[in-house]
Amino acid sequence: MPLLETIGVKVRFGGNIALDDVSISVEAGSVTGLIGPNGAGKTTLFNTITGLQPLTSGQIIFNDKDVTKEPPHKRTRMGLARTFQRLELFTTLSVRDNIRVAGEIRNRWSLRTSKMDVNAETDRIISLVGLSDVADREVGEIPTGKARVVELARALMIQPTLVLLDEPASGQTEEETGQFGQLLRDLAGEGLGICLVEHDMSLVMQVCETIHVLDFGRMIASGSAESVRNNPTVINAYLGAPESVG
Amino acid sequence: MQTFLQYTILGLALGGAYFIAASGLVVTYTTSGIFNFAQGAIAMLAVFTYWQFRWGWGWPAPLALLMVLGILAPLLGAVLYQVVMKNLRGTSEVTKIIVSIGVMLGLQALATWVWNPTSSTPRQFQKFFGPNAFAHFGSLRVPWHIIISFIIAIAIAVGIRFLFVRTRSGVAMRAVVDDPELLQLNGGRPERLAMISWAGGSFLAALAGILIQPMIGSAMSAGALTLLVIDAFAAAMFGRLRSLPRTFMGALIIALTTTYVVAYFPSKWTWSSSFRNSLPMIFLFIILLVLPQDRLRGATVLRLRERFRMPSIRTAWIAGLTMMIVVFCLKVIMAKTGVNTLTLALTFAIIALSLVLLTGFAGEINLAALSFGAIAVMVVYHFGISGTGTEARTTLWGILLAAVVTALVGALIALPALRLRGLYLALATMAFGVFISRMVLTERTEREIFGLKFTLFPTGQLSIPRPKIGPIDFNGGDAFLLLCAGLFVVIGIGMVYLRHSGYGRRLTAMKDSPAASATLGMSVVRLKLSIFMMSAAIAGIGGVMMAAQVGTVNSDRFDIFLSLALAMITVVGGIGYVSGALFAGIFLIAFIEALNLMLKKFAVDYSSLEAIFMFFISAVTVLPATIGITMGKNPSGAVSDIVEGMNKVKQSKPLMITVIGLEAAIWALTATEVITNWHFVILTFANLILVPIVGGKFLMARAMRGVPKPVPPELIGIDRPFTDEDLAAMDQALNLDGVVIPSSTTLREEPANASA
Repeated sequence: MPLLETIGVKVRFGGNIALDDVSISVEAGSVTGLIGPNGAGKTTLFNTITGLQPLTSGQIIFNDKDVTKEPPHKRTRMGLARTFQRLELFTTLSVRDNIRVAGEIRNRWSLRTSKMDVNAETDRIISLVGLSDVADREVGEIPTGKARVVELARALMIQPTLVLLDEPASGQTEEETGQFGQLLRDLAGEGLGICLVEHDMSLVMQVCETIHVLDFGRMIASGSAESVRNNPTVINAYLGAPESVG
Repeated sequence: MQTFLQYTILGLALGGAYFIAASGLVVTYTTSGIFNFAQGAIAMLAVFTYWQFRWGWGWPAPLALLMVLGILAPLLGAVLYQVVMKNLRGTSEVTKIIVSIGVMLGLQALATWVWNPTSSTPRQFQKFFGPNAFAHFGSLRVPWHIIISFIIAIAIAVGIRFLFVRTRSGVAMRAVVDDPELLQLNGGRPERLAMISWAGGSFLAALAGILIQPMIGSAMSAGALTLLVIDAFAAAMFGRLRSLPRTFMGALIIALTTTYVVAYFPSKWTWSSSFRNSLPMIFLFIILLVLPQDRLRGATVLRLRERFRMPSIRTAWIAGLTMMIVVFCLKVIMAKTGVNTLTLALTFAIIALSLVLLTGFAGEINLAALSFGAIAVMVVYHFGISGTGTEARTTLWGILLAAVVTALVGALIALPALRLRGLYLALATMAFGVFISRMVLTERTEREIFGLKFTLFPTGQLSIPRPKIGPIDFNGGDAFLLLCAGLFVVIGIGMVYLRHSGYGRRLTAMKDSPAASATLGMSVVRLKLSIFMMSAAIAGIGGVMMAAQVGTVNSDRFDIFLSLALAMITVVGGIGYVSGALFAGIFLIAFIEALNLMLKKFAVDYSSLEAIFMFFISAVTVLPATIGITMGKNPSGAVSDIVEGMNKVKQSKPLMITVIGLEAAIWALTATEVITNWHFVILTFANLILVPIVGGKFLMARAMRGVPKPVPPELIGIDRPFTDEDLAAMDQALNLDGVVIPSSTTLREEPANASA
């Protein structure tokens, strides 16, 4: 049973169909890629999964429960976390406080038995994701690549079972991306489900076991990294049909 | 039947006028994204100007109309946009709201300045075609003015609809809000279109004002006229600031209901006229309550221009102690009137603290802080006073009870806040404020509910004595001053503690990104309720202190315009800081008062220049609003500038010693009555503001000597040769260290990279 399943998700903005009959699944303990050209609907799909965007039709199943009608915070409390492509950091807090407040929010809703020691956990996560050098800076002052890592760290603070990452590596240097890929594999190894939207194909190919490809709101391919890489429809979607390139 | 028809026609015409004003709001909002709180003030100004032309100077009506509607009103709108509103892109919603409130207060002050409300002859405004021009429909007599109003409303409705849907510039106007940059790329000129829409919106406001004024038939009053058009806000909300047909419907429903209340409520219901007046606000509140939930947004503007640095707890204690010492020193040298003014200023500062907590910390808005004060004062008046005559004192229990009651009312007002943010919330609180002013503070008659007899606001005056807490009696002016200062410091330090707590961080998270907070599992209900309750309680306590300082308060003390001015000045001071609240109280009460006194004294001392000083005294009434309007330029507030200056002082020991030494000397001279209090005020200002600036410049110049001037990046390579350090600096700035620039081969291997 997959950790997360979307079944026939459709989202319509006025006359535009942003997502059309999209069904994907994400397994626990693995990294699933979600790729596609700009405007393919990847972020919209994340928004529907987290509940920020109501869907026109379709279903979202998380942890064997239909969460289609649940508000965002309820879904999070079931173990779903995410990062944002357009950064949604708490801009008036420091890096450390951005991460710490996530733990504090979590302690407000978690069961009494599973309350965490927020300060200790903050320190652990900061060193885990490698933010120690910027931990006490203002979050507005650090480079975008680092800021995306802060988003990940914040998401990890709620101890999720599934985390949706929206272009976490853009703005990162090649070296940082390498470390980041290793981090994702480690996290998946510990049992975390990860769904990754990313344009950096080397990272995607390196860490994802399964990949779903979206184009113009439709799913055009889905399968193992190898099969997707060689799928002619996918290549067309990215590069355009051969004659139009010609 | 006759009555029904008569009132229906009146209601339709009034509804027509409401619609015209509301459509102006919709037009400016859809094209510039700014909700024009000044709409009512523009209407009011147009009415006064028209009166001046038509009856003051006796111009013929068509000429006066052409002048006001054809030239002045559109010009005012265009100028407002060009000078003020244009600068507001990229600022937070709070700043936008505050600036447009500043315009509203400014226009109002201007009108009272030009058309002195205390002049002996009341200004009357007549219907078009005279008061006796009636059209006859069978037995029914309808004034032509009424018929014309309704016809114009329909014409405007059809016209605007046509403009927006059928014409190119109308479509472009709608595009401005959706994406000004995209429109610009497509050859549209968003700035010009927005300016035109402001001119149009201002025209519509003026038209509505001129049509409405004769229908109410009373003498013209700036405040009443401004608020009258605020009734149109409800209609605009009915159409959710988008749909004109729904706005039209809303305007008609509101106008008809109010006229039917006048027609059919039995005359023995003494509250029906207050009820009629507050109906539009009740409508507005209900509409806001049933509006569908805002979609959870993140920070829509990526980087807001506002920046607030959080002071440490240590700084807060130092600041609090300093403030107590300063207040104590001032008390020693000040005359009794000075003590009174300072106390009043501090009570307002306490009320402003409630705004800092709510808006600065939590990002919610309350435009009716003083209305909470009014509620608290009523509670204290009825339940919190022991003793009579000169022995009467406000009890601690009374103050606490007042805080509890206002907190509960705060929770009620938070209901719309649970689902709405920004503008809608601002409107809901404003509706509440106007409702309190019109419905509750006008309650002079005794009511009986369930056998309980009470009068909410007897004789329009409430006497609130100074408090006595435990064994300590704060009846004396000095003791009460210290109490208010202490209260401010305690609440202020408490707020800094709060800000540093987990609760404070969660508030900040909710303010900075509601979307991210929700996806971390935060449910905002309890957080929002609690912050509203806390803020309301602080406003309530401040209100009680204010009333206790004044002694006897009437409903004017809790006027909605005063609430708006306080909110505006707090934002000017710096809504994110405790010191912003202090600035608000001192500026709004003490500074304006001191300026007035000083100018009056000069006017007496130098009688040959009296006219000039009298002019300045009038100008002072416009001052707060003018400062509010400049917010667009410096959204972080004045305090942040002052703090910057102070930081310079803090960094440099000699400068700090100079400033403190000078201040001590000035104080000593005043205390020994060598110099007067006026000199003290002026010298203190000079010392605190000018010395750091001049001294800072001097120190900076000394420090910079010998250091080469930095070359701006675009001139590197032109003014001086390009070095490896420059390259490294640029790589670091762009976060590119270690990036290998991809060659064509790596690109071919990874086709996806190319399109990304």
